[in-house]
Amino acid sequence: MTTLESAHGPEGGPVGMSRRQLLRHTAWFGAAVVLTVTSGEVISHLGTPPAAAAAVAQDPHALRFVQISDSHLGFHGPANTDVTGSFSRAINQVNTLGFRPDFVMHTGDLTHLSTPAQFDQVRQMLGGLRTGQVFTVPGEHDSVDDHGQKYRAAFGSGTRGDGWYSFDIKGVHFIALVNTLALEKLGHLGTDQLEFVRKDVAGLSSDTPIVVFSHIPLFAMYPTWGWGTDDATQALSYLRRFSSVTCLNGHVHQLFTKTDGNVTFYSATTTAYPLPHPGQGPGPIPLTLPAGQLGPALGIRDVSYQPGQHALAIRDRRLA
Amino acid sequence: MRQFTTSLALPAVAAGIATLAGAAIAVGIITSPTTAAEPGAAGPAPVVAEQAMPGMSMPAGGSPTAASGQDAPVATNAVAIQNFAFSPAIVTVKAGTTITWTNRDQDSHTVTAMPGGPFHSPTLNTGQPYQYTFTTPGRFDYLCTIHPFMTATVVVTP
Amino acid sequence: MNPILLARVTAAGCLAGSGVIHAQLYLTGYRTIPWIGPAFLLQASGSFAVALLLLLSSAAVLRLAAAAIAAGALVGFIASRTIGVLGFVEYGLLPAPQALISVLVEIGALALLAVPFLDRTAARPALSLSR
Repeated sequence: MTTLESAHGPEGGPVGMSRRQLLRHTAWFGAAVVLTVTSGEVISHLGTPPAAAAAVAQDPHALRFVQISDSHLGFHGPANTDVTGSFSRAINQVNTLGFRPDFVMHTGDLTHLSTPAQFDQVRQMLGGLRTGQVFTVPGEHDSVDDHGQKYRAAFGSGTRGDGWYSFDIKGVHFIALVNTLALEKLGHLGTDQLEFVRKDVAGLSSDTPIVVFSHIPLFAMYPTWGWGTDDATQALSYLRRFSSVTCLNGHVHQLFTKTDGNVTFYSATTTAYPLPHPGQGPGPIPLTLPAGQLGPALGIRDVSYQPGQHALAIRDRRLA
Repeated sequence: MRQFTTSLALPAVAAGIATLAGAAIAVGIITSPTTAAEPGAAGPAPVVAEQAMPGMSMPAGGSPTAASGQDAPVATNAVAIQNFAFSPAIVTVKAGTTITWTNRDQDSHTVTAMPGGPFHSPTLNTGQPYQYTFTTPGRFDYLCTIHPFMTATVVVTP
Repeated sequence: MNPILLARVTAAGCLAGSGVIHAQLYLTGYRTIPWIGPAFLLQASGSFAVALLLLLSSAAVLRLAAAAIAAGALVGFIASRTIGVLGFVEYGLLPAPQALISVLVEIGALALLAVPFLDRTAARPALSLSR
């Protein structure tokens, strides 16, 4: 039977700790804190070498580009009553990043309803970007009634087939794919485009970093809502041998990342209005958030790559 | 006093751990997306069948529709477009019938037959109708090109 | 090996496992998520630190810290899938398999840390033998 006396420590006092035990506990706690801080430093530096950010800014061989997506010019609804204003802020944010990106890629749904006026407006606004080049891929909203004709008239110069193409900058190979033109629930690339991808990468060495842009995700993010591409595995099979493959897409209006073997997929957020997370609601319908929560849901993404590094450094930024 | 505390501690701690554990597992399972996106699959959807190949004029039966809960075809010639869905999702009519779609949503929609199909509406604003007369029997899958997750079917009987 | 010691060592292993998973997720994308990213880093570093020290000592403060880290991770898991954590939501057991493994090792750590409560001798604070 335990008595109160035996619960006292040698130094006395009520049930509980003695001063010696308190010191011991404090010592272990202190050790835990020190170790936590140390391992935190170690872990966070595992991701990027400490000088990476500064190095990229100074290094003329480093590549920096920006991805923006899903501007939906022409959308009217409570989810965002001024998508034009949001897009304008995004463009301004790109222009004030503190560096001039090598290029800007808009991953689709530039317009909401593919009208000539909306295409004109988005083209004009994109012209305000201070960057080397502006690239685009179409979203399904950019081809609602014409299989992409108006989109290609505005943005298709230099592209093949329905609007796909590839280019190289600073040793990185970029492929821009169109997976929104087949009249289907899911994204679809089609045999011509698959053949294009196969031939396009055939002669590249396996350590060439590859970046693939598309509107709809090239992985099965949530097929019930059309968030996937039915023949993407074949395209990705042509990229299996490369050490670094990064796929950047839009369409889902939310950040999401997934790694599968040598390929990492990054879905970007929108500059217009949020969509629910997979399964949270009857469908991917514009989501009206409580006041003040819209801003944090919108954003842009800047990506940098330094020659010799294995992977791209992705930085998602909220709309400023 | 100490014994009392000790004999309380075990059940209390056990109950706490069990609650936390149960809640975590339950929440994990309940909030899983309704269609499991396989973690390893980076491509084709596990659920949706291969769509009609280009050139095929009539999609073969087996193409899934959006109405997972509404599988019974409805004999009517009016389809409402509301809440980002076609209602009813499957309609069945006799050849020669005209079907009228009406957009009751705030957002615009289209009524577009899946590849190779015979009908495609212009962009329909709120309140705008679209009509099409089905002359040949068959099964016609269609979707909204603006929101391709909205799918539905018309079955035409001779 | 004394079963109490075995339980402590295994609890430390479970905690470290949870830390490994959170570190891996942090490095492969979660680091960019506001608040959640740093929280994952904190969880991982804390897990490694406390797990290491737990191998050396069974001080109550360490066991409490370990339980708090494991329980905190579970609470975060539940919150992110129900009410959301500062706007961050996830769903189900994605990312798989990390989410499920993490939940299981955290439950395991908590259960093993509670083992000393089974043994009344070890429950007495001031006179604990394996200090």
